[in-house]
Amino acid sequence: MEKESKRRDFLKLTMLGLVTAASSGAAASAQASVAGEKEEPSSGYRETAHVRKYYDLARF
Amino acid sequence: MTDRETRTESIAAEDRARAGAWRLLARYLSAAPDADGLAFAAALKGDDSPLGRAISAFAAAAAATSPEEADDEYHALFIGVTRGEIVPHGSYYQTGFLNEKPLARLRADMARLGIAGNADEPDPEDHVAALCDMMGGLILGEYDAPPCASVAREFFQAHLDSWIGVFFRDLERAGAARLYAPLGAMGLALVDIERQAFAMSGGGQAVH
Repeated sequence: MEKESKRRDFLKLTMLGLVTAASSGAAASAQASVAGEKEEPSSGYRETAHVRKYYDLARF
Repeated sequence: MTDRETRTESIAAEDRARAGAWRLLARYLSAAPDADGLAFAAALKGDDSPLGRAISAFAAAAAATSPEEADDEYHALFIGVTRGEIVPHGSYYQTGFLNEKPLARLRADMARLGIAGNADEPDPEDHVAALCDMMGGLILGEYDAPPCASVAREFFQAHLDSWIGVFFRDLERAGAARLYAPLGAMGLALVDIERQAFAMSGGGQAVH
């Protein structure tokens, strides 16, 4: 648990700028919307523009 | 949904920031941004850390990019005529081929963790955007597993750690990359933070 709190402190330090930025202005919606994009399936992952391309490449 | 919202609210600010950063990468790696996506990116602000500076650079690049230019760049980078400058799949980065063992291992872990595939068609689960999105979801506890540092760490170490840094460096340096070069820098900075943090919680060694 001591290790975990060390990790927490490190993350607070390194991610804090983003947290602060996020609490004011556009980045707040960045975090909110990035965390809760409506169009995504709830338990799936993001679709990409690559599906067809991927299968083209996969044939080789 | 309520259950998930409750979970999200109880998540520490720094973890929400991590998930937000992974999801930001996922958003712009999954497809070229339209006008709204570019405006959203242009409004981002970073601090003076490596991650923050990369985000500021991405915002500045987005402000100077039209949707048509973004589309052309995305196509040149990831799609191309026969292939793009970069093939953004984990299996390809790890083995030189698509659809290899790393993809099979990923699918097994997705099933174990309750990460659903898409219903309509089989998907390239190891696309970098999908993997970044899954990192965000694991950190926020959106799947079957509760939000737990070791779940995200093990997933990162099993499926991203060996190649994701190389991918982001390739993106940062790609000839066609204007808008995407700072996104590559952002990915590198985030991966650097995650690696250091994971090592602190005793997860320096790969679990798998």
